[in-house]
Amino acid sequence: MNQSFLTELARLVGPDGLIGDASDLLTYESDALVHLRSTPGAVVLPTSTEQVQAVVRLCRREGVPFVARGHGTGLSGGALPIKDGVLIGLSRMNRILEIDIPNLRAVVEPGVTNLEITKRVAPFGCYYAPDPSSQVVCSIGGNIAENSGGAHCLKYGFTVHHVLGVDAVLPDGELVHIGGAVLDTPGLDLLGVLVGSEGTLAIVTKAIVRLLRRPEKVMTLLAGFESIDAAGEAVSAIIASGIVPAAVEMMDRLTIEAAEAAVHPNFPKTDAVLIVELDGPASEVDELFAVVEALCRKCGAVTIEIARDQAQRDRIWKGRKAAFAAMGRVSPNYYVQDGVVPRTKLPEVLRRIRDLEARSGLRIGNVFHAGDGNLHPLICYDEAIPGQAEHAEKVASEILTYCIEAGGAITGEHGVGVDKKSYMPKMFGEHDLDTMQLVRCAFDPTGICNPGKVFPTPRLCGEVPGPYRAHPVERAGLAERF
Amino acid sequence: MAAQIVEPVDAAGAAAALGAAASDGLSIAVRGAGTKLTAPASDVVISTMNLTKGVDHVAGDLVATAPAGASLDAVNDVLRRERQWLPLDPPRSHRATIGGIVATNDSGPRRHRFGAPRDLIIGIEIALVDGRTAKAGGRVVKNVAGYDLSKLMCGSFGTLAVVTSATFKLSPVAPFSQTVVATLADVRKLGDLALALASAPVGPSAIELQSPPHRLLVRFETTEGAAAAQTAIARDICAAHGATVSVISGQAETDAWRAHESRIFSDAGTVVKIATLPTDVADMLSSIQRLTTGAAVECAISGRGALGIVLLRLGSDPAAHGHIINELRREAVARRGSAVVLSAPDDIIEAAGRFGSLGDAGPIMRAVKARFDPHHLLNAGLSPWD
Repeated sequence: MNQSFLTELARLVGPDGLIGDASDLLTYESDALVHLRSTPGAVVLPTSTEQVQAVVRLCRREGVPFVARGHGTGLSGGALPIKDGVLIGLSRMNRILEIDIPNLRAVVEPGVTNLEITKRVAPFGCYYAPDPSSQVVCSIGGNIAENSGGAHCLKYGFTVHHVLGVDAVLPDGELVHIGGAVLDTPGLDLLGVLVGSEGTLAIVTKAIVRLLRRPEKVMTLLAGFESIDAAGEAVSAIIASGIVPAAVEMMDRLTIEAAEAAVHPNFPKTDAVLIVELDGPASEVDELFAVVEALCRKCGAVTIEIARDQAQRDRIWKGRKAAFAAMGRVSPNYYVQDGVVPRTKLPEVLRRIRDLEARSGLRIGNVFHAGDGNLHPLICYDEAIPGQAEHAEKVASEILTYCIEAGGAITGEHGVGVDKKSYMPKMFGEHDLDTMQLVRCAFDPTGICNPGKVFPTPRLCGEVPGPYRAHPVERAGLAERF
Repeated sequence: MAAQIVEPVDAAGAAAALGAAASDGLSIAVRGAGTKLTAPASDVVISTMNLTKGVDHVAGDLVATAPAGASLDAVNDVLRRERQWLPLDPPRSHRATIGGIVATNDSGPRRHRFGAPRDLIIGIEIALVDGRTAKAGGRVVKNVAGYDLSKLMCGSFGTLAVVTSATFKLSPVAPFSQTVVATLADVRKLGDLALALASAPVGPSAIELQSPPHRLLVRFETTEGAAAAQTAIARDICAAHGATVSVISGQAETDAWRAHESRIFSDAGTVVKIATLPTDVADMLSSIQRLTTGAAVECAISGRGALGIVLLRLGSDPAAHGHIINELRREAVARRGSAVVLSAPDDIIEAAGRFGSLGDAGPIMRAVKARFDPHHLLNAGLSPWD
């Protein structure tokens, strides 16, 4: 990266906002998908929207690609830097700017962590609903880029349902306000496509998020089953009874053991556990929870623990949320996959995963959001054994083909990033991808905003043909055709 | 010369018709059942009314794919066999099509709990002016693969592409329903009461404004026991706000909600949707009352009280409609909101504008439009992002 460009960057963000030293840059060479690394030409840490705009304008002028990064917890390489490009780290833009309890809104900068919002509004009996497992550290900006979900999205939806408006810096440096403080803003729903676009359309520098009031009552049940199939039947029975739980999570024996070793949640030593949570008005939760409990028993639950208080509920959730990291206790390395299948196809796909486990010789732990069919198989391997890491990657890849064949999706919440872009043509046709590119080209015609992500092959945008033909309204007389 | 009307029976047919018209440089209007906008004048009309082939419902997954030309009620008739529904209740649901509901992102009172089409849609198939079809999303609720074009299509008014089918997440049909009707003396208090109910430990499916008379309709759809318990809580809150309260269920409830809808959406006329902050609803209601009383214009109000959505229908005298729309829009915008004309005589729309300002996002909206429809053939002149 040439010195004059670096000097200019330093002028824009201040000397302490620029990281150009080779050893310091190493910190930023990957996100949480650590096996993919690339050293950026420079890292800037802006503190204001104006600084982000200035940096983007400079990149645009010089034709230098840039990548926005939140707190680097992404699992698909969405924030993987571009070699010789600029990495725009948003961690210093971490203020909660406004809290409006009567209207259930908060205005936050992108570097605010997910859980921080909930902590700030908890005294008012409110919370921010999306709760990815990384919520202690992940940033709202990253959540918006990935359309993050969490354990409670069966009932409460995803980030896209909880962000009302954003300030976004477009790839030409223009600042635009998309969506707003109210529910309906006139015009195209650009927010709906911007959320989940993995940082390829714009950089969000401010977000208006929706808060929820804490439900009057929350009830959580932990049920142990002798088989994954029996636990799956319980989930089907609950859904068929017309109940939409706040969360339905499932873990298999291997992940139960791992969680037990790591955080001691005191889970039953069964082949599967189900965590079912209901929330809402007490009158409703009390009545429906009894139904859930009965259905679990009917489907063969051998143990049922009902959380009596928040501490007990926290312990159960700790076991679930620690499942990924806990795999480190039972395996030197593990690969986290993220795929989705229609819920009714869960038993079939899980059987295929079991067969694959036997065939591959690698242990596969399964922890998943059973309510919405989002699987997170954890493929255990030892990188000290030559070839095993590659083998694990192949196994993970095969699981994705099961998801696609079952009519599901290649990612439910971790994003496509770099990791899965080669799978996109397996899920979408060429014209589907071309059509998505229309949006990309409208936002980023020169292709400098997080290039090389999401889409399998880079395409040039070209100019929009024009000028357009005579406007019908301009053609007098046509109005009488109807 | 009348416009040529094309009624494709599948997505490929829709794409072929679009491609053929576009390659001849013909302007194209997209039309469903015509329950909302009047389609703009055009050389070709693409009607979605024959896109009615089958509803693909997987009850165990709580999802269904519906063709664009099917009416919402027809789709829900199929889903109800499994005690599920697509939880949308926009006006004229017996005729309003899936395609039209998506294109306008239309919803009704129960948006309070279930959201708008953009909140429920999980996949889409569209036909484009390049003569091809495209899909995005899928048939699973959780899916972040690729850009979510299905949300982009919601509220795009057929200006980007023709929706040929859409996939939604569904809800179970509640076993029981009843509605608390709270009548107040002052229109302002509707806003305050709506806020109070929204922060109470109850889970209504609708908190609906109605005026005149000044009423709040609060619907509970849950088990019978839970509805009774929550109704009792709601009653107390309503009484504390000085409301007289009655509770309706069964046929009386169905009739009341139907009558509520027809107060605003009975026939053609000037209907305006205001979006504002929930805490500004009371002020907006006062302003509506002041402006319409001042101009001696008949006015009926409905809306999602706790969401900040206010709908109003203006009656005679239409000469004052433009002024009222402008004043309300000015006030809504000053409060970070908006006012959109859902329907009105052409001269009123021409004078006041349908959407108001797009703000600084206008240029990027126009850039998106230009990529999807570079020659501006689709529903031309309908939107400010054209």
